Amino acid sequence: MTISRDGAAPSAGLSRRTLLQGMAMLGAAGLLPGRAFAQDTATIKWWDIFQPLIPLHEKVWTDFAAANPAKVEYTPGNPADMMQSLQLAFRSNQLPDVFSVPNGNAATINSLQAAGWFQPLADSFVFDKPFQKEALAEGFTNFDGKPYSFPIFAIRQTSTSLWFFKDDLAAAGMDAETGPESWDDARKAALGATKDGKYGLILPLQFGDRMKAHLIDLAQAAGAAGEVDWKTGDYAHASQPFLDALEFLMSFQKDGSLHPASSSVDARQGRSRWVAGEAAMFFDGPWNSGVLNGSFKEQIDLISVTGQVPYPKDKASAFNYRAPSTGTFYMSAQSQHPDLVTQVLQMLTTDEYYVALAERMDQPPLDPTAVERANVHPAYKKVVTGYQEYVRIAPDPLVRNTAVGQVYAEMRDVTPGLGEILQGAFSGAFSDPKPILQQYADQMNRERDRAIEAAKGKGAEVSRDDWVFEAWQPGEDFTADKY
Amino acid sequence: MQQNSKPVMARIWADRWIYVFLLPTLTLVGAFTIYPVVASIWFSFLDWNGFERAGSFIGLANYNELLADPLFWNAFKNTVVFLVLAVPLRVGLALLLAIILNAHFPLVRVFRTAIFLPVVTTAAIVGVVMRYVLDPTGGPLNIALLNSHILGQPLNFLGSAALALYSAVGIWVWKWLGITLIYWLAALQTIPRDLYEAAELDGAGPWRQFRCITLPLLTPFTLIITLITVIDATNVFDLMLTLTGGGPFYATEVIDIYVYRQAFTSNVPRLGYASAAAIFFGIMFIAVAAVQIIALRRVRSGRHDQ
Repeated sequence: MTISRDGAAPSAGLSRRTLLQGMAMLGAAGLLPGRAFAQDTATIKWWDIFQPLIPLHEKVWTDFAAANPAKVEYTPGNPADMMQSLQLAFRSNQLPDVFSVPNGNAATINSLQAAGWFQPLADSFVFDKPFQKEALAEGFTNFDGKPYSFPIFAIRQTSTSLWFFKDDLAAAGMDAETGPESWDDARKAALGATKDGKYGLILPLQFGDRMKAHLIDLAQAAGAAGEVDWKTGDYAHASQPFLDALEFLMSFQKDGSLHPASSSVDARQGRSRWVAGEAAMFFDGPWNSGVLNGSFKEQIDLISVTGQVPYPKDKASAFNYRAPSTGTFYMSAQSQHPDLVTQVLQMLTTDEYYVALAERMDQPPLDPTAVERANVHPAYKKVVTGYQEYVRIAPDPLVRNTAVGQVYAEMRDVTPGLGEILQGAFSGAFSDPKPILQQYADQMNRERDRAIEAAKGKGAEVSRDDWVFEAWQPGEDFTADKY
Repeated sequence: MQQNSKPVMARIWADRWIYVFLLPTLTLVGAFTIYPVVASIWFSFLDWNGFERAGSFIGLANYNELLADPLFWNAFKNTVVFLVLAVPLRVGLALLLAIILNAHFPLVRVFRTAIFLPVVTTAAIVGVVMRYVLDPTGGPLNIALLNSHILGQPLNFLGSAALALYSAVGIWVWKWLGITLIYWLAALQTIPRDLYEAAELDGAGPWRQFRCITLPLLTPFTLIITLITVIDATNVFDLMLTLTGGGPFYATEVIDIYVYRQAFTSNVPRLGYASAAAIFFGIMFIAVAAVQIIALRRVRSGRHDQ
């Protein structure tokens, strides 16, 4: 193409041999610098879904490239289709050196580890401050005793603080600083704020995973241990706290204070409509501060947040529980640069990084004290410091028995899931949610039993008793000595 | 005849250029049509989460599980309801409009263009835009219905489980009406004008002309247009995903969305199970299409017999 455009087409007296020689030389010229470059500088390919963290990570990558013969090539991913991209990349031997796993719960991580996706961090990796050591756990971040990954975010956090416009709450006759902390107050505030085309609350009903997180957080505030009742080891989705939490969420619809568009919005759309003033309140996690700061700067000072997940009655007995978390970034088994990858990941474990991470106002950093030293919005500080008061460490069967990882790897999704059941309740697909929740809990129990049998068939030593934690007490951390 | 008596290899050699020119097409069809179909059939016998390089063979277990999965039958039902409602509506409405727009009156081209315009709009964009149009607060449709006092309360077209599928049918029919209209207009052009003139001389009114000339002569076209529309109506993935994502509570989950959910959006994907669902539905669909083609042949041979 280039040759004929330049007027040096073969017909213009150029012999075939000359042309081929010329093409070969061009090809060599194109290849040589690349080859020389590849020998000098390694390229670390990095895919993740943390768009708000890009500026922070770009600085880390620049520092890393300045100190090492390597550079990071970053590709941002969309949480919705990242998993598809990773699957295709794995099967075609093109996994990036570093990647994050969206919805990286213990079940998915164990499935991926079993399929040979990861490799352990190099021996040079150091992670020994007390809050760091507490964050490493077999089956979550470690496999066969070796660290594969680590969380950059704090374990103690929730997704369900109630964010609100201070003026709307004041106009509804509520305390605009504290906010509606109890369920009754939240309901009253929503009703009071519903007027002149504005609604009290908007819920992201189309985002099943987020609604599930809200329901579990609210059920825990009402006394549930979590999805599993640790005293019996059974799934507890039809227990009273879950029913109460669902009834609380539904009450906004009953009162007419729920934005009718809730059924067709996800978290991003819901947040935009809330910020645009269509609703007074919105349930969200701490990252809401970061998003507001990034995209809705004019509104950020008009907004405040409750210091706790709203609770039904008694503040003193309202707690939330979080199990140890899986890692944030993983090194691909296909990576040829384990030492360099370990070095760049090590840069995400410094005090400077934790403070800078807090300043992004996304999920709180692993070191909770970093928030005190960081320049953050008061609402973010309120939410994150609150976690220390009411979020407790939950037990996890995987910590007790690593063979549980094989059960998780065998377990399949049960549908309809909690998020869809909520959607169904709001859309009028059924009038009584209790039997549907009971059916879900029963199906989860059966699916786990099936997975236990399948794992046993492959030699795992595991039983349903691994999900029973007699020592669990409401409101207490389930520390290592209690296992 | 002389050529046929030659050995096969000699015949292939003699026609070698034909085969050389066929090769690119054969390669592309093989790689992008035949291979995926064969691969899906093979995948449907595997237990495969997609994280591993290959799945393990489990025979017909996926199909057995599928037959017992209420959500598969829900998706199946939704697809059938969609077909049963949307196909006659689109075919019938387009015929009615074609008959009107086949006449010559002012601005007929403008009307044809207006009806055809949604066809060239991307389905995914239509899905997104319609979410705003049908929004219960601030959506123009609800505002219009409220202001004209047809409704006292806004309707949640896409958020109510009882309404969502019907809303989707309406949008789909509106979006594709134009293309069916073009088919019908082309079909109407094939009817000789002199038949109508003769009928008019015999004193037949418009209704009689329609019943005794237009309808019988359009029958073979009806079958082809219906077949094309039925095939279209099973490929509503892009519209449904952007419009409702299959919700609320699976109310609009058609087979395409069900397969997509199993294969890609579950926390632990199930490629084998998703393939089984696609293949099973494909077989059912081929059966329906076969019945239609047989009917078409019967009609044709009936016409020849006359």
